[in-house]
Amino acid sequence: MTRPITILVAALGGEGGGVLADWLIEAALHEGFPAQKTSIPGVSQRTGATTYYVEIFPEKGARPPVMALVPSPGGIDLMAASELVEAGRAMQNAFITPERTTLVASTHRVYATSEKMLPTDGRYDAEKILEAVPKVARKAVLCDMSRMARGAGTVINAVLFGAMAGSGALPLSREACEAAIRGAGKGAEASLRGFAAGYAQAASPLPAGERAGVRDDSAETPTPTHPPESRGSESERVRREFPEPLHALLEEAVARLVDYQDAAYADRYLDRVRGVLAVDREAGGEPGGWPLTREAARLLALWMSYEDVIRVADLKTRASRFARVRQEAAAKDGQIVVVTDYLKPSANEIADILPPAWAERLRKKAGPGRAVKLPTSSVAGFLALRLLAALKPLRRKSARFIEEQALIERWLGAIKRLGFAALDAELSLEIVQCARLVRGYGETWRKSRAAFVRILDELVENEQAVSKGADALKAVIRSARNAALAYEEAKPAPAAKGMPVIWMKQG
Amino acid sequence: MERSFKAEVAKLRLGAGDTFTGEGILAVTKALLQSGVSYVGGYQGAPVSHLMDVLHDARGLLDELGVHFESCANEAGAAAMLGASINYPLRGAATWKSVVGTNVASDALSNLSSAGVVGGALIVLGEDYGEGASIIQERSHSFAQKSQLWLLDPRPNLPSIVRMVEKGFALSEASNTPVMLELRIRACHVYGSFETKDNVAPKHSRRNPVQKPAFSVDRIPLPPAIYAQEKHKIAVRLPEALKFIQREQLNEFFAGDLREIGIVLQGGMYNTTIRALQQLGLADAYGSSRIPLYVLNVTYPLVSEEITRFCSGKRAVLVVEEGQPAHIEEAINSILRRADINGPHVIGKDVLPVAGEYTGEVVLKGVGDFLKLIMPDGVDRKLVDAVLDGVGEAKRRAAELLGVPVPTRPPGFCVGCPERPVFSALKLIEQELGGIHISSDIGCHTFSTLPPFSLGNTVLGYGLSLAAASAVGPNFGKRVVTVMGDGGFWHQGLVTGVANAVFRNDDGVLVIMQNGYTSATGTQNIASSPDLRPEEGNPIAIEGTLRGLGVKWLERVYNYDVASVADALRRAMTAPEKGLKIIIADGECMLERTRRERPVTAQKLASGERVVRTRFGIDDDVCTGDRACIRLSGCPSLTIKDAPDPLRTEPVTTVDSGCVGCGLCGEAAHAAGLCPSFHRIEVIQNPTGWDRLVHGIRQGVIGMFGGAR
Repeated sequence: MTRPITILVAALGGEGGGVLADWLIEAALHEGFPAQKTSIPGVSQRTGATTYYVEIFPEKGARPPVMALVPSPGGIDLMAASELVEAGRAMQNAFITPERTTLVASTHRVYATSEKMLPTDGRYDAEKILEAVPKVARKAVLCDMSRMARGAGTVINAVLFGAMAGSGALPLSREACEAAIRGAGKGAEASLRGFAAGYAQAASPLPAGERAGVRDDSAETPTPTHPPESRGSESERVRREFPEPLHALLEEAVARLVDYQDAAYADRYLDRVRGVLAVDREAGGEPGGWPLTREAARLLALWMSYEDVIRVADLKTRASRFARVRQEAAAKDGQIVVVTDYLKPSANEIADILPPAWAERLRKKAGPGRAVKLPTSSVAGFLALRLLAALKPLRRKSARFIEEQALIERWLGAIKRLGFAALDAELSLEIVQCARLVRGYGETWRKSRAAFVRILDELVENEQAVSKGADALKAVIRSARNAALAYEEAKPAPAAKGMPVIWMKQG
Repeated sequence: MERSFKAEVAKLRLGAGDTFTGEGILAVTKALLQSGVSYVGGYQGAPVSHLMDVLHDARGLLDELGVHFESCANEAGAAAMLGASINYPLRGAATWKSVVGTNVASDALSNLSSAGVVGGALIVLGEDYGEGASIIQERSHSFAQKSQLWLLDPRPNLPSIVRMVEKGFALSEASNTPVMLELRIRACHVYGSFETKDNVAPKHSRRNPVQKPAFSVDRIPLPPAIYAQEKHKIAVRLPEALKFIQREQLNEFFAGDLREIGIVLQGGMYNTTIRALQQLGLADAYGSSRIPLYVLNVTYPLVSEEITRFCSGKRAVLVVEEGQPAHIEEAINSILRRADINGPHVIGKDVLPVAGEYTGEVVLKGVGDFLKLIMPDGVDRKLVDAVLDGVGEAKRRAAELLGVPVPTRPPGFCVGCPERPVFSALKLIEQELGGIHISSDIGCHTFSTLPPFSLGNTVLGYGLSLAAASAVGPNFGKRVVTVMGDGGFWHQGLVTGVANAVFRNDDGVLVIMQNGYTSATGTQNIASSPDLRPEEGNPIAIEGTLRGLGVKWLERVYNYDVASVADALRRAMTAPEKGLKIIIADGECMLERTRRERPVTAQKLASGERVVRTRFGIDDDVCTGDRACIRLSGCPSLTIKDAPDPLRTEPVTTVDSGCVGCGLCGEAAHAAGLCPSFHRIEVIQNPTGWDRLVHGIRQGVIGMFGGAR
């Protein structure tokens, strides 16, 4: 008995899912097959997950079949998802099953608000979805359709349609699909290019054993940080004095600190890392690849290159920065790019780079700061920032420099003291991790740093807390740190008992 | 308007023997014209917005036929408009989103149904229930019962829907009663075809107006007419309706060989039920079912004779009735008992859920459980078990493989939305002044209640936010902030909220989001929309209206300037004087603005004119990833990526290519003193000679100082 081919398309608002459903219907009609589509577009907003449901009855005839308006779990022949987590959602709702379903999905990620708003890494582990695909789908076509769409100068729906057609799960010929796109008129040429790219990809899947990876859609151009030639004699010291597994990390760090201040500063960094390495060695960190040293060295490098106005001015006036901005804005040759920086230096930030005595006076009067829209690509704007950046040699005398070094020593001291006393690398690591709190700008930085100092005062350097033993101490430090990392406002409000969460889709 | 409906308008002109293909709600629109309506009105809202939108664009055709069309002030206005059919033989239709629209319309609906109609009156309800719904979940059915309005729930295919529209008018006239036609979201958007008829020019219309007023005190809601009207409904209109429904066979019987059981279902549930039967091997692709079906295309009133006929001699009957209370199931039980038919078990909400949408999965399980319970002869019990278990197993397996459920993705403000910055400012003010009670309204701005803002304590209805704050205000230790859209303002906020608050000198802060349209329903025009064409109406300014009411404290802010919005809010919250303080938050809906500007820009670019494209960026080496910016704005364009810096293990924040350059992220960073990563990027396309000269000089100097390394 002939039954309808069922197709569920999961897309995000604004990706042209509705147009894709139209194409499917037109192509089916072109073949002479009865077809039906429904959707729940609901609100106009161009965000949020949405689905389109299409049924095609692959038999020409006068008798109209009865087709469903809602997709049934376990009853989908072709599941198309324009984004990876949407494929995961379909899996969760049993719209992908081994008996029937061909999955066609893009592997790129578009993060949900809940993934983006956390101050830590709140991203869903989408690898899990890719790992599950071969276990739940009859067949799968996975590729980065977002990138392919960009390459073809079109929208993702065209690539998705091509991949669906190429997967063999549609009862429609390529000609019928292309005719449907042509019939829609506007932008047909670009759509056909996207369709062809998707079709080709689906028709020639990845070689056996290879598997598509999750791709972060926005990380198109990782900027190389410090080229090897900027790593001078400090780099030799790294290789001489530290175990091999740490070389890459430490070389990156010293290059950063030479760039940030000077070679002497990088030396000071390495001295500090040596202290931690000693603890790590005592605690037997070598087989594990020196986890304690590694994390401490990473956080210490970031901390020692804290972002004061000098640093920010320096970063913002580099040639590489102008090149990056141009690239991000996708400016073509012959187009001119104008950059305006949104800065709000407050008295506090200015005080940070002054000598301590002056700083104290200024901080007393500190107000909310002055919003500046600085035309960095203009002569005046650029020179103003260069002038600030040129204060680098004076940084060592600045109030914040002195304060940060003192706090760093307190932190390192605690790592060493407790580390040696307890010979418990995990405890040391908990203390090391607390340095994640020292970052950010303005009010966010002040609050977060205060939380860090509180952990030192009340737990790490508090005899009573320490006397309760390493295990207890580890637990309280961890929970205090996590609480401080999940800023009050980032925490979801507690839901009333049994209250459903509005608009959240099933599953 | 969101889009142009030129192609759809052409379909409304199809004549006898032509085939219409398109969405369900447009088929309804065509059916109205085939039924000879004199007038159509309503209030926009998903899923019936397109009915209004298409007629709005079909003025030429409507003029030819003489059909009057209006976008009403609200659903109460639309229902009151049907009053034209009380005294005159004018067919008319109104449409809105239900149940909320029906609530708003209820005063007029009660009076309309009590007076009765001589011209057919049809109300097309977009039943916004289940997945994709954006309103409270209730049934329209209860309204039909309490006011004795007949309720049609056709099978969700175009021929059935069209037939029920046409028959609906005839039913209304045969029984002097307004008729409601409910269409669920997916039925409104279902794509199919039907054979059309010629449009019918109404007997009386703008072209051939009624000449004499008809008067009868019997149609006025005063005693003693009101008592007579109630009795007339029961004694005359109901029996006439029942006769018509049977005579015209509005409900459908489908025979099946498993005669000891049967299914009674709402018309709208037909396709889902057939799919479940197909999955269980009890129906074929063409809908031939082995279980006899009784399909209620009219769900109120129920025809007792049909029900007793269908149920007699059966061992068990399943009732597939979406929504609660279970009016139909209870009525069937009562009808059978009264007829002294005690054999059949009536099973409904025992195996199907009492509340919530009847999705494919729900109905499949319900039908399966019914079969397992009754175990009729001729049903493959093993197949039923296998199908039901298969679904559960697939879900369990997926949950196990994924470990953690995938993040939800609710709708939210668009990229560049002018309402988002107002909530950024409100969040800043809340951080400054401590917690604020916020009375929210219906509209795009309701999304402020979701993360990352989580602002808004109550929503009581469209345009009701100010009224909803009236008792919180005096009992709350701080001024209450009310948010209302311009859509809600004209829908009923002006009278119920503002006028009354001014009259009573209530203390409080009202923020009116002036984006220019009812954006959430598809950017339809309202009285204060920009660039109204003369035929659309006379523009009315909100500010002028407020001044006319005597509002003293009134400020207007430009939304994207977060700091100045925050300043205005602060002034309003701390002003010493009592009374209503209103801030008009100005910013045109970005969807509409882009739609208008895109072709103009493309034109300019093509002709070589200078065009500046703006977007924002974040320096990924300056960003430390604290995400304060995302928590303050939630712009979809503001996202995260792996840090390019190998020393950073947590992601940094970035602006993706969807950015439209509204500037909120930069302004918010300024207003909140966040981080110095944000920058505006202007790309000058087709630069002039002057641009190139300035650029050359700049490049020279910057190069000299070695934008070096």
